Amino acid sequence: MKLVLCLLLALLPMAGLAEEASLADLFVRIRQSGFAEFRYEETRKLELASSPWQAQGYMLSAADGRLIKLQLQPKRIIMAIAGERMYYWDPEQKQRHAAPLGQAGLAAGQITVFRSILQGHAEELQPTYDFAGEKHGKHWVLRVTPKPGQSDEDAPSIEISGDEDGRKQQVLIRQADGESTEYRFMKTSAGPELEYSIRRLLLEATGD
Amino acid sequence: MSFVWRKRWFLLLFPLLLAATTWQIRVETDLNAFFTATDSEDAKLLSGLLQSGELSRRYLLLVEKKEGAKSGPGGEVSALPSTPPHRTISIDEFSAKLVRQLAGLADVERVWSANEPPRNWINAIRFYAPHHAHLFSLNPQEDGRGLFDPAGLASRADTLKQALLSPQGSFVKSIAKQDPLLLSLNGFKDLQGQFERQAKLNADGGALILQSHPAALDSDAHAHLQAAIRASFDALNGANGSAFRLSMAGVPVFSVAAHSEIGRDVTLVSVVSSVAVALVFLLLFHSFSALHWVMMVQAASFVVGTLATALAFGHVHSLTLALGASLIGICTDYPIHVMVHCAKHRHSPLDAARLLWPSLVMGGLTTVIGYAALGMTGFPGFEQIAVFALASIAASLGLTRWVLPALLAHASLHTAHLPGIAAWVDFCGRHRTGLLGLFAVSVILAGLSLPQLRWMDDMQKLAVDMDMLKRQDEAVRTHFSSIEPGRFVLIQAADWQTALRRSEAAERRLKSLKQAGVLSEYHGLFPWLASQDLQAENARIYAQALTPQFQEAWRVALTKAGLSVDRLGLLPPPAAEPLDPGSVLATPVRQILSGQVIDGQNGVALSLWLGEHNPDKLIEGLTGLEGTRYFSQKDQLDHLAGQYRDRSLVMLAIGIAVMGLFIWLQQRDLRKVLLTLLPSVASVLFIFATWALMGEEVSFLHVVGLLLSVSLCVDYGIFFMDNRGQDTDITYHAIAASTLTTLASFGALGLGKTPTLPILAVSVSLGVTIGFMLCPLLIKTGGNGPASSV
Repeated sequence: MKLVLCLLLALLPMAGLAEEASLADLFVRIRQSGFAEFRYEETRKLELASSPWQAQGYMLSAADGRLIKLQLQPKRIIMAIAGERMYYWDPEQKQRHAAPLGQAGLAAGQITVFRSILQGHAEELQPTYDFAGEKHGKHWVLRVTPKPGQSDEDAPSIEISGDEDGRKQQVLIRQADGESTEYRFMKTSAGPELEYSIRRLLLEATGD
Repeated sequence: MSFVWRKRWFLLLFPLLLAATTWQIRVETDLNAFFTATDSEDAKLLSGLLQSGELSRRYLLLVEKKEGAKSGPGGEVSALPSTPPHRTISIDEFSAKLVRQLAGLADVERVWSANEPPRNWINAIRFYAPHHAHLFSLNPQEDGRGLFDPAGLASRADTLKQALLSPQGSFVKSIAKQDPLLLSLNGFKDLQGQFERQAKLNADGGALILQSHPAALDSDAHAHLQAAIRASFDALNGANGSAFRLSMAGVPVFSVAAHSEIGRDVTLVSVVSSVAVALVFLLLFHSFSALHWVMMVQAASFVVGTLATALAFGHVHSLTLALGASLIGICTDYPIHVMVHCAKHRHSPLDAARLLWPSLVMGGLTTVIGYAALGMTGFPGFEQIAVFALASIAASLGLTRWVLPALLAHASLHTAHLPGIAAWVDFCGRHRTGLLGLFAVSVILAGLSLPQLRWMDDMQKLAVDMDMLKRQDEAVRTHFSSIEPGRFVLIQAADWQTALRRSEAAERRLKSLKQAGVLSEYHGLFPWLASQDLQAENARIYAQALTPQFQEAWRVALTKAGLSVDRLGLLPPPAAEPLDPGSVLATPVRQILSGQVIDGQNGVALSLWLGEHNPDKLIEGLTGLEGTRYFSQKDQLDHLAGQYRDRSLVMLAIGIAVMGLFIWLQQRDLRKVLLTLLPSVASVLFIFATWALMGEEVSFLHVVGLLLSVSLCVDYGIFFMDNRGQDTDITYHAIAASTLTTLASFGALGLGKTPTLPILAVSVSLGVTIGFMLCPLLIKTGGNGPASSV
């Protein structure tokens, strides 16, 4: 789940993708550069669930790498990344977790993928991941897939797609065990005034 | 052999001996190895724990921001807290990088953030999923009612789903596939609580734990490791604006500091002792040539002692070398006696050596007896010193008798007249009756004051004073959960199953005591290890609960929660075979429990680690549990100190008796034997009385110091009684010279910061001084000829 959030938040800045779908352009534009808020809808297909699970809420991102996922439905949950740590707070169950991103278990390699993309160091991933960009009319798609035999066997495939106007995007993450998560985003706000919300939610998540 | 050839052989063999010693010697700096005996199971356990115990090899590292740097959520360090945020590295981000760097250092077993269990723990927990039916509770009868209540299944299914959606989803999924009710995690829930408490203490994420490979008291290895840790930190910190600072705590930090302190002491004592003896020698004889040859003789004796110790024990302790350096002063006595007689009587060195040889041998023998008694007090380190003394005294005597005359053949010796020596002998002769009366009264008063003597019962008072380090240690530990390295509950049994049953009973008590506030936390062994009885009880309760109705209720709950009945609906029956300790410890769990499963020669020993606790209430709470007891390293050390002290007193008495026996064999006169011993015994009595009146706490080291002083003082009695030069003034001058060199060498020990050294310095210096002063009072001489009795 951490991985999913990381990947998701990392790829969020794709909202700004414009006409050209060359890889270099995509990577440059993926890089986080300011405050933004997105409304999202999430659909997860879990191996142990009988039907897809759905949720919705808001995502907030800051230029310094802080990322907040505020789930409002079916219940309020905050997940966040600050520095090198991930935080989880379920107020209903009163469950709080905090862990370094480095402790993502088998998915640690994918988190590295995420951070490399986020920080604009996608070239570091070239040895282990394939990148492919496609454009069909006003619709574009970026596929990030692990290279066979080069990546961790649990590495996920990621597909980011959107339209030219940049307001709506989809991110589909397929994990090696067959589970998948699909996000639909709509940018709702941007600007430094989001700093207050990010700080408040982060404080709630960390329990400070 | 001619003098020329004796000299040549000596000059040829000495460098060879020195080379052989340098090649052979391995210096040990472990203070524990010096002082801790291993002659009982507890002492062995204590010694092992101090040297290589899991917690003793552990570093606590604390990364903090420097003053002036501001911290935001998640410990983010920023020079400018106002918006727009200035992205700088946070404490936890820095710590995570540091962890990765430190993990690559040689001698690092593993390193992890104190807030999370190490990765191998998470992997190890997965190992228990198929065995959930055997391990879900320490109290299965009691917990089973809640765990297998059909009314709670809907909530359990919801919780499972949330867990699958949480950040721990992949971990939970791997468990749930084999253990749908997550029963195996129930056994580990206390573990989670420990890390949650830790996380509250370390909100910034800067608390790290580093487990090292080397034994705690392997100071050289730890000095290198600490330097490497510092270097890694400094490099990383430099690359991040030097915004952080690092503090270290743990037993190895103290070990390295103590090693460094002792190293300085050894150098200081050796240098000052040698220089002081040389100066005293020059003052007495005004001859650089004689000094040069005598120093070579003593150096050769020192080398022989070192080589003999290295051959006998395989290594030489640094404290042996420090105390051995003081032996130089004692061994110098023999050449000094020869040279004083030589100078005063205008004898040749050979004639003087022949004349004094019987007294020298007897003096050397009594000194060796004193050191042998020291070796039998039970301290491993003092066994070394006894061997060292035996070899070096024998070498010094032999060289004085056969080589020194050759070396001094052409030396011109003049001896200084020491002021007051003749006057004191004369004063004692003239006022003997009055002084003896005063002496008798003093003896009575001293005897009466002995009951006031206070014994030191805290061995910590003998440790190197490291207040600053202790304060730093305390400050660092406030950021960590409080498992104490030195106190735990020890479980012992002849076999594994009994030990585990006892451990489980103890854990149940500890749980109750924790609820009662007697202890803050504990680290038990369940469910990492569980007895077959407990596993069978768990399996029985589980099988009993697994009715068709229960299974159906679970499937309904899964359906309601939107979880797959196909994948999670089948609750498997208990595995046929329970887990046995052997197979568990063949997995990475061994590493997790390495500090709690103690290697013992007799049966199985397990330890349950304790947080802050009230020892008395804890001991009371554990009453009645067979094979279970509270173990405190400090109490054990203090107990050992008491044992050592009693042995030292016994050995002091035995040492004096054996010396008396050897003197009797030479003199065949009981009265002379008693008179020879009287100055040294009386000095011991007076020193004990002085300590009693001053309120000084007396340890085994004080007694050991007195034992040494007796062995030296008896020499004075022997020389004074024998008076082989037929001249009391010359004999007492020779004894005075010996006393001065002994004071110079042992006095140098007083400069050491290691408390053991000043204690020995005071004990020996006082002992020899009083013994020296009492000789002419208690042993009556006629001016020339052997002494007569009082």
